[in-house]
Amino acid sequence: MAMLNFEKKYRVRGGTLLGGDLFDFWVGPFYVGFFGITTAFFSFLGTALILWGASQGPTWNLWQISIAPPDLSYGLRMAPLMEGGLWQLITVCAIGAFGSWMMREVEICRKLGMGYHVPVAFGVAIVAYVTLVVVRPILLGAWGHGFPYGIYSHLDWVSNVGYQYLHFHYNPAHMLAVSFFFATTFALSLHGALVLSATNPPDGELVKTPEHEDTFFRDTIGYSVGTLGIHRVGLFLALAAVLFSALCIVISGPFWTRGWPEWWGWWLNLPIWK
Amino acid sequence: MNILPQTAKLLALVATVLLVGCERPPTDTVQHGFRGTGMVQVYNPRIVEQNTDLHAAPAALPASAPDGTRADKVYKNVKVLGSLSVGEFTRLMVSMSSWIAPNEGCTYCHNPANFADDSKYTKVVARRMIEMTQHINADWQPHVAQTGVTCYTCHRGQPVPAQVWFKEPAQQNGADFIGDAAGQNKAALSVALASLPSDPFTPFLLENKDIRVNGDTALPSGNRHSIKQAEWTYGLMTHMSTALGVNCTYCHNTQSFSNWSGNPPQRVKAWHGIRMARDLNLDYMEPLQSTFPSNRLGPTGDTAKVNCATCHQGAYKPLNGAPMVKDFPELTRPTASTSVASK
Amino acid sequence: MAEYQNLFTTVQATGPLHHGVPLGHGNSPRTGEVPGVFHILGRLGNAQIGPIYLGGLGVASLICGLIAFTTIGMNMLASVNWDPIQFVRQLFWLALEPPAPAYGLSIPPLNQGGWWLITGLFLTASLMFWWARVYRRARELGLGTHTAWAFAAAIWLFLVLGLFRPILMGSWSEAVPYGIFPHLDWTAAFSLRYGNLFYNPFHALSIVFLYGSTLLFAMHGATILAVTRFGGEREIEQIVDRGTASERAALFWRWTMGFNATMESIHRWAWWFAVLCPLAGGIGILLTGTVVDNWYLWSVKHGVVPPYPEVFPAVIDPALANGAK
Repeated sequence: MAMLNFEKKYRVRGGTLLGGDLFDFWVGPFYVGFFGITTAFFSFLGTALILWGASQGPTWNLWQISIAPPDLSYGLRMAPLMEGGLWQLITVCAIGAFGSWMMREVEICRKLGMGYHVPVAFGVAIVAYVTLVVVRPILLGAWGHGFPYGIYSHLDWVSNVGYQYLHFHYNPAHMLAVSFFFATTFALSLHGALVLSATNPPDGELVKTPEHEDTFFRDTIGYSVGTLGIHRVGLFLALAAVLFSALCIVISGPFWTRGWPEWWGWWLNLPIWK
Repeated sequence: MNILPQTAKLLALVATVLLVGCERPPTDTVQHGFRGTGMVQVYNPRIVEQNTDLHAAPAALPASAPDGTRADKVYKNVKVLGSLSVGEFTRLMVSMSSWIAPNEGCTYCHNPANFADDSKYTKVVARRMIEMTQHINADWQPHVAQTGVTCYTCHRGQPVPAQVWFKEPAQQNGADFIGDAAGQNKAALSVALASLPSDPFTPFLLENKDIRVNGDTALPSGNRHSIKQAEWTYGLMTHMSTALGVNCTYCHNTQSFSNWSGNPPQRVKAWHGIRMARDLNLDYMEPLQSTFPSNRLGPTGDTAKVNCATCHQGAYKPLNGAPMVKDFPELTRPTASTSVASK
Repeated sequence: MAEYQNLFTTVQATGPLHHGVPLGHGNSPRTGEVPGVFHILGRLGNAQIGPIYLGGLGVASLICGLIAFTTIGMNMLASVNWDPIQFVRQLFWLALEPPAPAYGLSIPPLNQGGWWLITGLFLTASLMFWWARVYRRARELGLGTHTAWAFAAAIWLFLVLGLFRPILMGSWSEAVPYGIFPHLDWTAAFSLRYGNLFYNPFHALSIVFLYGSTLLFAMHGATILAVTRFGGEREIEQIVDRGTASERAALFWRWTMGFNATMESIHRWAWWFAVLCPLAGGIGILLTGTVVDNWYLWSVKHGVVPPYPEVFPAVIDPALANGAK
């Protein structure tokens, strides 16, 4: 079987949320569980719908395949299958699959006696996806505001939606989100490097200690957040990036219709400037 | 989890700060391309409502008979409207005063003791403006089609149109060895508060610098336009968007800005509009510099000039596309009795 | 109340402070003999601030950096006619611009891009000195130099943007202005000029690594926090002597997605994802304008551009019909 040499003792019964012992087993290295079944169902269905949609389209080129949402004229109704209805079904499957994956992670955490931090973090990512394809379209009155499912076509959507606001870089929530993305990547490089530098010293040196890690950062920048702190900071930075991304797109359209540079007028026109 | 209420509180605080400066839903959206491309116009109905009066076309006076004595047989010093009948002539004059100087009346342009007299600069300017209006309607149909323009399109009941532009004075920086902003990097209304170059009108609507910066081959083949030139073009495009109350996707699929096939037809209209603005500024506005008194000139002593906002004033078509020259055919062609126009 | 999630420390133990692993010969004494202890910091990480090591490299870096920072600031202040109120009001819009294209790679007058070049010189020097500092501090402590090499990837991107690419393009004007909104204008203009950067495959790769790094840190941060009850945050210890924290962390991912990392290898995934973001990004920038002039057209050539059905009547370029541009 596909078990690690220490794995057997951890494969115990229990931790399930739904279904009891019925789905409490593994397939190879994968844990199944009730939510593993639902994940498989939604994933297969959604993928099959995407493949079918591609077959009805003009190309099988992986980069060019695109499943487009309905016209805005359909509002919040179900559209005909080939006029965006397929996109709607695939979206339902996606939300079902992502939600199932998250709940499966919860069951695995329970079985391993771990905190729920990972499924909660994944939940934040799901919030961002749902914001893009459900919340914002509802606020704007049409499912057609969702993004197309296609590798390059979704980038065309990003480009056009950005230019709807003339210069999307000026969106203040977007600025925060981008800063958090860069900060997360920066912090990740530091953390990865620090741990590796302590455990992979130059030839002839001993493996180092957390005191060395702290000293390196105190020497360099005067502060070391520590082994526990860096994981809190990393998780916080990453979740902040995703949450501010969701915020930046949900306000574009429902809460702002002009160019984003113009939003900064409130600052320029504050009464305190004489 | 004690992180959740704390994060929620932080997010709520930031969201509140952001939203205080924002608009409120619901908003209207209009699709303008294939579904899922994101080519959509977004409107705030409350803002649209606020501007209804600005974009309302005035009612036209009842038409006058085109037959009857010619204006230049009855009145003196009639240089460009000579072939009109007296009835048409008078009607146009009354209309013009309501379009341009409703409070000031006829004497805004005319010497009350002698209506033929050219002593007021406003009359000289108005004469040239009539020629300009006729030129726009006759020769710029690729842009104004059969809708056309009258004086009201720009003036909207004011002697000086609300949206005109002047060249900028030299930047006031502290000393001449430091602080040059290269014509950009300030919050300029002309570019909707972006830090883009603040006068995109001189190079593109007065001179004919390249607006296009893209090459037409994938690999380099001699296109030497710079990133800075792209910023200048971006500034012009920002002005065009806010002047028309539309966003970039009204004319472009931003997948490829330089591509023409598959693009909205509005882009062709805009191309002509740019050339029309250039034409008007070069042939009609700039030459009037010696006619205007100094209080009508800009900080560098130049005349007021036109850009997209001058006519459009925030609407996708001026006055939301109301047909303007339907009731004023005399503004659709030159009407001088001889072929000499005052230039 | 619900279970404690170890996101903020509730009880902080304070005791004798650590003054740092002793340094060998050739090192200065550390600055900050009595490090500060701040309770509020202790809720998230360590409460101790300091001591810091200030050697020759660090001081040189700070001096160069301060010169660059001040030059930018003075130019901004001058551009609003020395008015401090307008400086604060317009701060986000202000900038120090690179030279105009006409100057090519020559040294322009001070006020027409000369200050920008000087700033670039001092900023680059500052970063180089800081890189050397990071490298040396690691060596002096007997650590590997992984941090310095990660920093090198970021410096690569910085140099591509401000030095290598402008030189290859023959013009300092291609480089980025020093200013908050203006550098965003540059970013947009760069994409506009070169045919939509979304179609630059290295740009796409760089974004993959950017989002991937965020994904990884969310995953790793959350995983470690979830096993702190078993001492998971003591990563060095867990690497050399695998405990139940590492085992559960690994099994969580193995059972979720079928494969897993180890306590050490996750940090390699982390390092590479984070480093590849600026590395790939720098390549993408360097190729733009030098090797490819229009990324959309390049993508058309390579068959990746998605087709859309025609919804508008046919439009042709009016410049072709009229003969004028």
